[in-house]
Amino acid sequence: MSLDIREGELLAVVGENGAGKSSLMNVLYGLYHPDSGEVSVGGKSVRLKSPRDAIALGIGMVHQHFMLVPTLTVAENVVLGREPTRRGLFDWERAVKEVAATCERFGFVLDPRARVDTLTVGSQQKVEIVKALHRGARVLILDEPTAVLTPQEADELARVMRGLVAQGRTVVLISHKLKEVLGVADRIAVMRRGRLVAEVRPSETSATALAALMVGESQRAVMSNAAATPEEKLASEALLEAVGFPAQGDNGRPAQHGGEAHLGDVLLEATGLQALGDNGRTAPRVSEKFPGGALLETTGLQALGDNGRPVPRVGEKPPGDLLLEATGLQALGDNGCPALRGVDLTVREGEIVGIAGVDGNGQRELAEVLTGLRSLTAGSGTLLGRPLKGLTPAEARARGVGHVPEDRLRRAVVKALSVEENIALGRHSGPPFAKGMWIDFAGRRERAQSLLAAYDVRPPEPTLPLQALSGGNQQKVVVARELDARPRLLVVVQPTRGLDIGAVTQVHARLREARAQGTGVVLVSLDLEEVLALADRVYVLFEGRVTGQFTRPEYDERELGRRMLGAEQAHG
Amino acid sequence: MLEILHRLLFATLDAAPALVFAALGAVLSERAGVVAVGVEGMMRVGAFCAAVAALVMPTPAAVGMGMLAGAALAAVHGFLCIRWRSDQVVSGIALNLVALAGGTFLLETHFGPNGTPPIQQLPPLHWPELASVPLLGALSGHAAPTYLALLLPLLLQGMLTRTPLGLRLRAVGDKPHAVATLGLSVPALRWGAVLGGGLLAGLGGAVLSTTVLDRFEQHTPAGLGFMALAAMVFGRWTPMGAFAAAAFFAFGNALRIGLASSAPGLLELVPQGVLLALPYLLTLLVLTFQGQRNSTPASLGVPYEQESR
Amino acid sequence: MGERTRQALPSVLSVLLSLVVCWMLIAFSRDTDGLATATAAYLQMLWGGVGDWPRFLDGAPITVLTRPLGEAAMKAALLTLTGLSVAVAFKVGLFNIGAQGQMLLGALAAAVVGAHVALPGVLHIPAALLAAALAGGAWAGIAGALKLYRGVHEVISTIMLNWVAVRLVDNWLVVGPLRGVAEAGASITGTAEIHPTATLPRLLGDMSRLNLGFVIATVAAAAVWAWLTRTRSGFETRAVGLGDEAARAAGIPVARRAGLAMALAGALAGLAGAVLVLGTEGRYPGTLGAPYGFDGIAIALIGNNHPLGVGAAALFFGVLRAGGTRMQLLDVHKSFPELIQGLALLFVAGRLIWLAALRRRSAPKPVTAAPPAPTAQVPHA
Repeated sequence: MSLDIREGELLAVVGENGAGKSSLMNVLYGLYHPDSGEVSVGGKSVRLKSPRDAIALGIGMVHQHFMLVPTLTVAENVVLGREPTRRGLFDWERAVKEVAATCERFGFVLDPRARVDTLTVGSQQKVEIVKALHRGARVLILDEPTAVLTPQEADELARVMRGLVAQGRTVVLISHKLKEVLGVADRIAVMRRGRLVAEVRPSETSATALAALMVGESQRAVMSNAAATPEEKLASEALLEAVGFPAQGDNGRPAQHGGEAHLGDVLLEATGLQALGDNGRTAPRVSEKFPGGALLETTGLQALGDNGRPVPRVGEKPPGDLLLEATGLQALGDNGCPALRGVDLTVREGEIVGIAGVDGNGQRELAEVLTGLRSLTAGSGTLLGRPLKGLTPAEARARGVGHVPEDRLRRAVVKALSVEENIALGRHSGPPFAKGMWIDFAGRRERAQSLLAAYDVRPPEPTLPLQALSGGNQQKVVVARELDARPRLLVVVQPTRGLDIGAVTQVHARLREARAQGTGVVLVSLDLEEVLALADRVYVLFEGRVTGQFTRPEYDERELGRRMLGAEQAHG
Repeated sequence: MLEILHRLLFATLDAAPALVFAALGAVLSERAGVVAVGVEGMMRVGAFCAAVAALVMPTPAAVGMGMLAGAALAAVHGFLCIRWRSDQVVSGIALNLVALAGGTFLLETHFGPNGTPPIQQLPPLHWPELASVPLLGALSGHAAPTYLALLLPLLLQGMLTRTPLGLRLRAVGDKPHAVATLGLSVPALRWGAVLGGGLLAGLGGAVLSTTVLDRFEQHTPAGLGFMALAAMVFGRWTPMGAFAAAAFFAFGNALRIGLASSAPGLLELVPQGVLLALPYLLTLLVLTFQGQRNSTPASLGVPYEQESR
Repeated sequence: MGERTRQALPSVLSVLLSLVVCWMLIAFSRDTDGLATATAAYLQMLWGGVGDWPRFLDGAPITVLTRPLGEAAMKAALLTLTGLSVAVAFKVGLFNIGAQGQMLLGALAAAVVGAHVALPGVLHIPAALLAAALAGGAWAGIAGALKLYRGVHEVISTIMLNWVAVRLVDNWLVVGPLRGVAEAGASITGTAEIHPTATLPRLLGDMSRLNLGFVIATVAAAAVWAWLTRTRSGFETRAVGLGDEAARAAGIPVARRAGLAMALAGALAGLAGAVLVLGTEGRYPGTLGAPYGFDGIAIALIGNNHPLGVGAAALFFGVLRAGGTRMQLLDVHKSFPELIQGLALLFVAGRLIWLAALRRRSAPKPVTAAPPAPTAQVPHA
């Protein structure tokens, strides 16, 4: 990819998580080294071997996770590495003066003498910015700067950024929050999967259009993702046209065709080009040819029906008994600030309930509350017949709550244990994994092998350490384990993040299958398209509150987007 | 009474330097984020090499050899922990075991079980003008390391808190990635601290065999390195704190020895063993109740992985 | 290369390298005949550990085999127990540097029960062993509790607890309240002699000092192995050690597992003390000289924290140590095997170096696919 950054502008780089924004910026800051390609500054090609080079060229960076030494003062953090000295000693007073001067020059209100760990998050971020400016940064890169800020702090940051641009500095803002980007940027670059897919001006676009570009709803975009080589790309485009999908016509009205294009795309990865053509025209034949294809077929048909035209689902139970009823849920986040500020939620048997929202609005904490990993500070609820308060992870599992967490390697699996041990994890106390106090090796092996086969995990080798598997196959193991426990309520968070398209299809199919069998599914995803494709009902979370509730036929993407950005319930 | 106090102070000043140097070495290394469990081993090689070197060269030069030996062991630690990101505790323990067994082996092979032959001790320095002043007089009549042990904590404290280098060292122990994003080299800073710590620990060992004793003995330093770790923790990872703790431990020890000879009846009430355990018990108590004021360097023992790829 | 081989290889290579380095150390420290002396010393070490086979084949009595083997087995028993102690703690993610102190407490408890409690033989030994395990477990439990409730790092707390134990036991209890009463006017150091009923029986009578302690250690290794690999709670313990957040999410009581594993570690070290006192020393001697607790760290790491690996490493170094005394014949001090062990641990500490070297040998670096070339332009600053 290539990207121009012009002097004195505020350029926003937007894209989904994992689109490559941060990697690109770390290349610019000399932390990562490009495998190929080059960086030129002011027309001259440069090599950035370390941050030292970047700093020398006037590039400064504010990292998503602050790079501040908490035990040092503001002044010390700012001057670290270029400390003023007097007769060989660190001149603390001069450092304070210098930093105070820099703060004043750019209009920051900070006490240079304060220890950084006594500051609020918003102030710490200002220290980061001052740190870069103090080093003479002409170009300032801010990586997801508002992810940790309150709305007021975010507004102030926006003013700060505009102020810097007014003084002739260049600001590069990396974000996936479209509203703030639209409000502040001069120019917006959209990235997806390591590529620059569009450059637009805020006045010429909208949040919806940007979102469409980001997630790549348009068929063309999907095709270019899926195709690994130009040949494949050509072939698949040809095939798409052959089966009657329009290969063009994207940004304007993506929603209607999105599902169909997605279907084709998914099949391309999962079963190969041949299957795409076949399935597109004559679906039943696929199930004959491919034992695993039957699954894909249902997926495809389901998605087709779901999107656009509501087709009554045949052979599925209508939503049944209440599994979860919660009111006024409140909980603190990891940073000790309220993350949930009163959430009402119900989940019934046999429905998928989507939780939509921009990253960091309490979705993660909600999932943790429902699985016993985070304690409530207020609110009450009934989860599978008993109170939600005081729930522990063990208790949640005993009641029949399954959990596919977001951070797989930290929460869901123990990567150094074998695949079969991971399949047993959390269910290791009962059959078929244990007999009394002993592990039932035969039963575990048998169950592991059948699950690995059913979920098409490759390689289907139960004794391999889990870390030897690819991310997609690891996730299949997690989904297999959780669904095999026949949970009554399944909490899944970002289940397809970072997976290849084949694995995505399968995970989606399995979730639908669980629904069909009467499981209530809570699906938390930052990918709005995923939520809309799967969920029967959607709650929109914003700053720890429910700002909207939608039921399938009434999905209005624009309205959903508005709610995700905090618009109150004016007409909903 | 004054006479007793004078004697106690004198004994403390005589015995404390080895502990002080080792504790300072540990502080230096750990403030930069590298665990210093190997201090005991570094002291042992320092003591051994100084004692052997003193057989063929002037004692002050031999002390220098002891320091270098400590640094050499520290270099192994650095190679394993900084270069190869090995477990710092494992590496430190391994060095202790190697120093223990290696010291015994070399001693037995070349000198026999009674230690190395006696050497010329570092001479005591006398300050006649001080000697007559009450209490202050206890300052006179010690070998050079004692005075260095009074000076060095101040210098090291000044270095850590008042110089750019000190600022960087503290930063690298708390948040190495922040230092790296400013274009400074984390490995270089840590190497410096580890080698400096090795020099100091080696000095501590060398002092044992050149002033406290006049040879290297089988059990040197007999756990003094671990007591240095206790002093470091007790002193909350600051040079002056570690110095104060080391001095306090040494004073306690002098008091115990004094009591044993002058008032054995008192030791019936508080047994010697309990007094000997006191430094470690106190350190445990400090750790237990440090609460929010946790002063452990935040990245202590965490191998630094460069973010570049 | 199989996964198991890949795990074990660094340890094996480290031990071999250490043997070579130490061999050279002897060879080069002699003015004459260095190579021959070093080789002869190694042979003596071998015969001193596994029995003097050449002499036996020449018609010497069988005791030339059983005596050395018995010594090796007894050393191996102690190393196994302390090694298991460290390994069990490692399995739950804790570094138990305190095996020495826990062993000391266990030895003292066994000595007290052995000497001051009168029980019939069938009960006396189990009672003494139990007391030792409880004492060691409680001492380790302090470190566990400090870690779980006060966040005190176990490395520093176990180091401190070691020295507290040494000082309280060696410098107070054993020379004070628990000092053995002099019999017939002879003054003794250490605690009173244990009753014969508490003495671990010798397995081969007069042919060797081999006693029940070796069986205890072997059973302990097998039991720990079975517990870790075959039981639910062992599985939970390993899961906590390898990924505590995932274990928590899976409903495993993380704190309880960590606390119990630490207590078990202490109990194993305590048993080592009991085996030493009830089997070899007959009482708590003035000081528990040999640092078997610290050796346990080396044994655990060389054995890759696997109970059976620990057993193997303990046997190997038990043999070496028993043979160490024979090296004196060639003027090599008996502490030499400890140097071999220490260096082996140092080389094991560089595990990543071994792995990197092995990887370089076994697989040439794959050609990485070039991603799209990034280019970027930044205004002149």
